[in-house]
Amino acid sequence: MKKFLVLLFSFVLVFSLAACSGSSSSSGDESKTKDEKSGDEQVTLRMAWWGSQPRHDYTLKIIEMYEKEHPNVKIEPEYASWDDYWKKLAPQAAANELPDIIQMDLSYVSQYSNNNQLADLKPFFGKEINTSDLSENFLDGGKLDDKYYGLSTGVNAIGYQYDPALLKKIGMDKVPENWTWDDYQEMGKKASEAGLYIDNGPGTAPDVFFNYYLRTQGKSLYSKDGTQLGYKDDKLFVNYFKMYADMVKDKAIQSPDAAAQVKGLEDDPVVKQNSIGIFQWSNQFIGIQQVANRPLEMIGMPGPDGDKGLFLKPSMLWSISNNSKNKAEAAKFIDFMTNNIEANKLMLGDRGVPGSPKVQEALKPLLSPAQQQVFNYVAWAGEHSSAYNGPDPIGSGEVINLLKGFADQIAYGTTKPEDAAKQFRQQAESILSQNKK
Amino acid sequence: MKLKSPRWWLYHILVGGFAILMLYPVVWLLMSSFKPSNTIFITAKSLIPDTWIWTNYSQGWEGIGGNSFGVFIKNTAILVIVVLIGQVISSAFIAFGFARLEFKGKAIWFGIMMVTLMLPAEVVMVPQYIIFSKLGWLNSIKPLAVPAYFGHPFFIFLLVQFIRTIPRELDEAAIIDGCGTFKIFTKIILPLIRPALATAAIFSFYWTWDSLLGPVLYLNSPSKYTVSMALNMFLSNETVSNWGAMFAMSVVTLIPVFVIFFIFQRQVVEGISTSGLKG
Amino acid sequence: MNTRVIKENPSADITIQPISKKGRSIKENLTGYAFISPFVIGFLAFTLIPIVTSLYLSFTNYNLFSTPKWIGLDNYIKMFTGDPRYWQSLKVTIIYVFAGVPLRLGFALLIAMMLNKASRAVGLYRSLFYLPSLIGGSVAVAIMWRNVFGDQGIVNILLEFFGIPAVRWFGNPTAALWMLIFLAAWQFGSSMLIFLAGLKGIPKSYYEAASVDGANGAQQFFKITLPMLSPVILFNTVMQTISAFMTFVPAFIISKGTGGPMDGTLLYSLYLFLQGFQFFNMGYASAMAWIMLIIVAILTAIIFATSKFWVHYESEGGR
Repeated sequence: MKKFLVLLFSFVLVFSLAACSGSSSSSGDESKTKDEKSGDEQVTLRMAWWGSQPRHDYTLKIIEMYEKEHPNVKIEPEYASWDDYWKKLAPQAAANELPDIIQMDLSYVSQYSNNNQLADLKPFFGKEINTSDLSENFLDGGKLDDKYYGLSTGVNAIGYQYDPALLKKIGMDKVPENWTWDDYQEMGKKASEAGLYIDNGPGTAPDVFFNYYLRTQGKSLYSKDGTQLGYKDDKLFVNYFKMYADMVKDKAIQSPDAAAQVKGLEDDPVVKQNSIGIFQWSNQFIGIQQVANRPLEMIGMPGPDGDKGLFLKPSMLWSISNNSKNKAEAAKFIDFMTNNIEANKLMLGDRGVPGSPKVQEALKPLLSPAQQQVFNYVAWAGEHSSAYNGPDPIGSGEVINLLKGFADQIAYGTTKPEDAAKQFRQQAESILSQNKK
Repeated sequence: MKLKSPRWWLYHILVGGFAILMLYPVVWLLMSSFKPSNTIFITAKSLIPDTWIWTNYSQGWEGIGGNSFGVFIKNTAILVIVVLIGQVISSAFIAFGFARLEFKGKAIWFGIMMVTLMLPAEVVMVPQYIIFSKLGWLNSIKPLAVPAYFGHPFFIFLLVQFIRTIPRELDEAAIIDGCGTFKIFTKIILPLIRPALATAAIFSFYWTWDSLLGPVLYLNSPSKYTVSMALNMFLSNETVSNWGAMFAMSVVTLIPVFVIFFIFQRQVVEGISTSGLKG
Repeated sequence: MNTRVIKENPSADITIQPISKKGRSIKENLTGYAFISPFVIGFLAFTLIPIVTSLYLSFTNYNLFSTPKWIGLDNYIKMFTGDPRYWQSLKVTIIYVFAGVPLRLGFALLIAMMLNKASRAVGLYRSLFYLPSLIGGSVAVAIMWRNVFGDQGIVNILLEFFGIPAVRWFGNPTAALWMLIFLAAWQFGSSMLIFLAGLKGIPKSYYEAASVDGANGAQQFFKITLPMLSPVILFNTVMQTISAFMTFVPAFIISKGTGGPMDGTLLYSLYLFLQGFQFFNMGYASAMAWIMLIIVAILTAIIFATSKFWVHYESEGGR
């Protein structure tokens, strides 16, 4: 019997020992309770972001640079891949353990801000964060209900990225700036005759492209208050997705089952010279250009009224968590990443084209030709676009999932656009109606 | 087997052939780790690289953000050892209780144990996270390691099943020789379930080695990350992924588990001579 | 010190059915609890509260960050009446479990019997067959599998070699599910290892005696191997069924987190994850989890109930 007790005791011991030494490992917590205003007191900030190796490497260099200038500040990085990042962040929010500085995505910001997880940045604008070089549109990228829950890290715009050499095969030298959906369908026909695709279709991000289409018609995917869809006439849905279905049928757009076989950028149809171009965000141009390794061009979306449809979207946001004890210090570092030229020389537009024209100007000589193209396109888009709708409402994750499902079903031919339009409206509005107060 | 009989040939052709078929994807992985990152998918058809390159390995080993891949391997190895010892010892202990002893409420506790296996980790992870955060265990391996010392239902059930195949006459003989319950456990049962213990050790090793969700949730500082988290960081959802380095480091992380398996599998199949059992 | 205890119950019935024999001494109970105490303590410390919490949350509207709002049975009602994707995920999962588990166990048992020899070559074989399972659920597996089943992957090359048209595995909802099932079958290593350990526990003398009696291979298999292995078969069946129901990682990484194409690979756990962590309906996800628990528990109970008829425990005098 004694032996059991000894064993039992040792289990309890292991357990309690571990519990006792626990406090020492959650480093940084103690230092956070200190006064916010002080300039010289030691401050530890936790900062989290997602990305891959190159982003981790240069962000750490920026942190190092900042710590050298501000010896009292210590920044603890917490980085992960996209999937892992969001798995990490949700329980941290639930346990009030969010990092001080958070790289936030537009699709999650309303969820996190609505529940008081993120701090309003307004009080820091013009003080810790210098906004004199940032346009109102740029700042509004992180605005929800008159509060600023994040500062844009830089902007992107959607566009058509294409291979001019392949375009020649359908008898065109370049895509004109003022092209229309009719031109697009015409080009699709010719491309399919030449054994090529015209693009990848909206299947990968139907919410983005359908929203663009709706905007050209003066509508949007979500209503302003986010409690319903932003368009009343299902005809718009039918028109847009019927075009998609027809072009898939005509082999002008890669069928969704073939698209599902694509493993990565490396075997994308554009890279493999099976497709003339692709609709995607401006920042994605660099990757596809690098893999394709031949000259590519970038142009705006088909019109009419392309400038009503197009918008500059924050690539991501810098947010400060509400449980941060050092909000002002966190804001100072966000300012550093936004306005400091040396810091941006390391970032080189990886998190979107910077908002400050001064920074943009300073980066120009350092950019690779592809990055140059991105900066130029975003500058062009800035002049040919209208204001962004703001972050997606709560429930958008589910709505986007629905829309993707219907877009697939339409392209596979298992659901008619008319039926999909109705079902989508019914299901999406039942999700969004929960936002009613 | 002095003369290779037709049966011997048939056996090796059959088993060997099947092994090759099974291993094709693994060989593909290995070969891809020697290809330039941007050609891996395009040349997916051909197994042998056109040119063999080692840069995937050197690049991958450099690691991420100043932590070499060796750091991640070391972190993982420490975690694995701590967890393995805890899981195997505590599970054997508990399993003996369930398999050989009679006590009130046994069936209920066994049922509870099975039920804990049936609830997806996703719904318990947030409340669990809050508990560990209250204990101040975040950003350490404690939330991953300490629970291991309280048994793992899979191993407990596994060992229970093995203990139940051991004839009770052995216990009775031991009792006549004057052994107590604890002695029966250590002197009779433990040696006889060595194959099952080795099996549990192998599983514990590679499950912990592979595990992603736990480390993702509880480890915040990159210098504490495990290999599975590090591998994910070679990939990007926005731009070009470093497939080559990811494959290369996947191969590297596979080596320790393979070696451990090779050593322990002998224990599983050759561990006991059945002479210990009387028919 | 406990000599009498066991002597009193020489053929004690150790099934998991409730045993309420009177007159068990305090000491006996204490000894039992001492042995299982690590589990009991761990359960009370780390698992009980989260489990109870998740049950409570299943009756609430909870988005992970807000205070849960009690909504009674609404989550359950929505699940059964207003969510076609839920039924899709259930359907996909049931196919996955009932096709995947027998396939995996069959493979595992077959290979284990072939490898149940002590020779160095066989040791190598064992390790090689185990290798696919060691790769586990890493991202490398997903990409590997995408290439094996890709447009120019080996599977399609082989299919075309035999005159069967190539299949777009990732683009076809049915094919994509089968691809997941093949992945499960391919990673049969852990079940194989458990079978091997079980086979090793069968005394050789049984076979020798049977040979003397003139039993052939098939008779030996059915009269000796299967009954002696039955506790391990029970274990593998129960565990593989449970874990197949909970399968998340392969579906997540292979479908890039979508469950596509057209929800063809939307396994229950994946849908639960999407609901909980992408749509932030943690209350709904908890309700899904509890329904799954009930389904799995019933299945497990059925397997256990039938085990009386086919599982043979040497320790319980059933020879």
